[in-house]
Amino acid sequence: MERIAEHPILGAKEKGREVEFTFDGQRLKGFEDEPIAIALKANGVMIHRYTKKEHKPRGIFCAIGRCTDCVMVVDGKPNVRTCVTPLKEGMDIRTQDGVEAAEMKEGEGA
Amino acid sequence: MKRYEVIIVGAGPSGLSAAIEAAKKGLKVVVFDENEKPGGQLFKQIHKFFGSKEHHAKIRGFKIGEELLQEADALGVEVILNATVVGLYSDKEVNVKIGDQIHHYKGDTVIIATGASENMVTFPGWTLPGVIGAGAAQTMMNLHGIQPGKKILMLGSGNVGLVVSFQLLQAGCEVVAIVDALPRVGGYGVHASKVARCGVPFYLSHTIKAVEGKDKVTGVVIHQIDERFMPIAGTEKHFDVDTVCMAVGLSPMSQLLKMAGCEMEDNPKRGGQVPIVNEYGETSVSGIYAAGDVSGIEEASSAMIEGKMAGVCVAEYLGYIEKEERDAELKIFEKDLDSLRQGMFAPKNRGKKIEKTDEGIDISTNLLEKGYVADDEIERFPGVTHKAGVHPVIECTQNIPCNPCQDACPKKCISTGDNITYLPFVKEDAECINCGMCVASCSGQAIFLVDEDCGDGTATVTLPYEFLPLPQEGDKGYGLSRKGEKVCEATVVSVKSVKAFDHTNLLTMRVPKEYAMKARFFKKAEV
Repeated sequence: MERIAEHPILGAKEKGREVEFTFDGQRLKGFEDEPIAIALKANGVMIHRYTKKEHKPRGIFCAIGRCTDCVMVVDGKPNVRTCVTPLKEGMDIRTQDGVEAAEMKEGEGA
Repeated sequence: MKRYEVIIVGAGPSGLSAAIEAAKKGLKVVVFDENEKPGGQLFKQIHKFFGSKEHHAKIRGFKIGEELLQEADALGVEVILNATVVGLYSDKEVNVKIGDQIHHYKGDTVIIATGASENMVTFPGWTLPGVIGAGAAQTMMNLHGIQPGKKILMLGSGNVGLVVSFQLLQAGCEVVAIVDALPRVGGYGVHASKVARCGVPFYLSHTIKAVEGKDKVTGVVIHQIDERFMPIAGTEKHFDVDTVCMAVGLSPMSQLLKMAGCEMEDNPKRGGQVPIVNEYGETSVSGIYAAGDVSGIEEASSAMIEGKMAGVCVAEYLGYIEKEERDAELKIFEKDLDSLRQGMFAPKNRGKKIEKTDEGIDISTNLLEKGYVADDEIERFPGVTHKAGVHPVIECTQNIPCNPCQDACPKKCISTGDNITYLPFVKEDAECINCGMCVASCSGQAIFLVDEDCGDGTATVTLPYEFLPLPQEGDKGYGLSRKGEKVCEATVVSVKSVKAFDHTNLLTMRVPKEYAMKARFFKKAEV
């Protein structure tokens, strides 16, 4: 989804420095200290995890750390609420499957 | 264990206001908030607030947030962030999770200002990525500068649904429809009108049948429902969307109060499980207060006053001020709060069908059913008058507590009479100097400056414009009706943007004179 270049009321948003991170092994860019979920959204990522029993996709829902729909595996730690966790350089972010990282397809990985 | 004279839970409008009042009286105050940044939801509120000068009217929510933070900071209020209060006990012991540790605090008094959380409704597909809460939309676009989606359907026509829909348009998104199961628009008519005139259709007595998509939202089907909320077959309507946004009410986050043993009640007029409190927010447990949405869903302006009340009360409770001083201050706050709780949207009128204004004028049914006042209804409201030359046309048609318009005019053209909720009218003897202050100061964007007959078969209409790209003088396009339909050709005569307007640009367009009272928005012709 597109970042808002200039907002009629808020003007241009101040951003942190641009950093690189990986999503399921794929190199992506975002801005330091913005929520991980926002950086993913800007890169078009909608699915953050799959539910354990029925393998249904989930993404951002409340965006304020309340609903836990957007949790992912971040630097090896599962159930991290990506909507309230600041993005850092080099973070390893993976789609969560149940309570662990989803298996990556052949050829993926850092 | 650390001890504080006042522990406040929640650094939103109410909690910060409470902290400020208590600190002013010399109390040692700490505020815990689970978020990374203070301010609660204020920093997502980019519209101008309603109310009077005392209620920060016509100031945008995020500016109010900045002011509160500065004031709290100057008074030495300690705000601890990323701190989730997980326990509250009747002896005012507080457990706070900070990082991986639980910390233990003791308050001589406690003020709970935890606010509310969003309600949800379920339908097939509601868990798909792309179905989000209205709060999430606000967070994404107003805090983090990203569009929540490209094409969005809004479920819920209360003030949140209406305000967020407008903000989505400001963020450059398309809102395909506003849908509500109720037969009438729930929020302020002026909020509905500013969205409707941009061309967003309203579907009342409709709800979502299903959201479509495999891995993410690709479309949505709505259908009409009858008075028993049962779907009517054959009324399905499909929209291609990538996002469905839910604004279906708020519930108080009162769990901590319940945990502390405060007497609770289920009160639908207050939004759900709420503590039983006296008029100043004191719960059944001595020294524990509740302020803001946690004790009944209202809005930020009243939450701030409730916070102030609680702050003054704890100061007296701990002996920092005398009872007389407390009572004198409370009296002022009570008056403020009372003025906000007037009008047809007052908590006491929730769920009531109001058919006439306080002035005895029939409410616009079209406004309630379609989101805009019909051409044949608008003339009956007192702010809509005619005269030669430029004059204000005030399309304010419901009694809401708001009066910045009467202070805005340097010539004192506009008055809301004796009561803040009365409909504004234009004084006959006053002279309009076309300054535009009324247009820019109306939080509901309901004031227009109209010259109905420029003498050459045209008329000019000045309207509030808060979108980008900003049209330029000479731009050609169309005048849109209150419904948002192209009704005539229009040319931009001028676009004024001065600091006093606070980002509300004043766009003046020239239209054929028969559209002077019909054209209310400008759309640039696509090249």
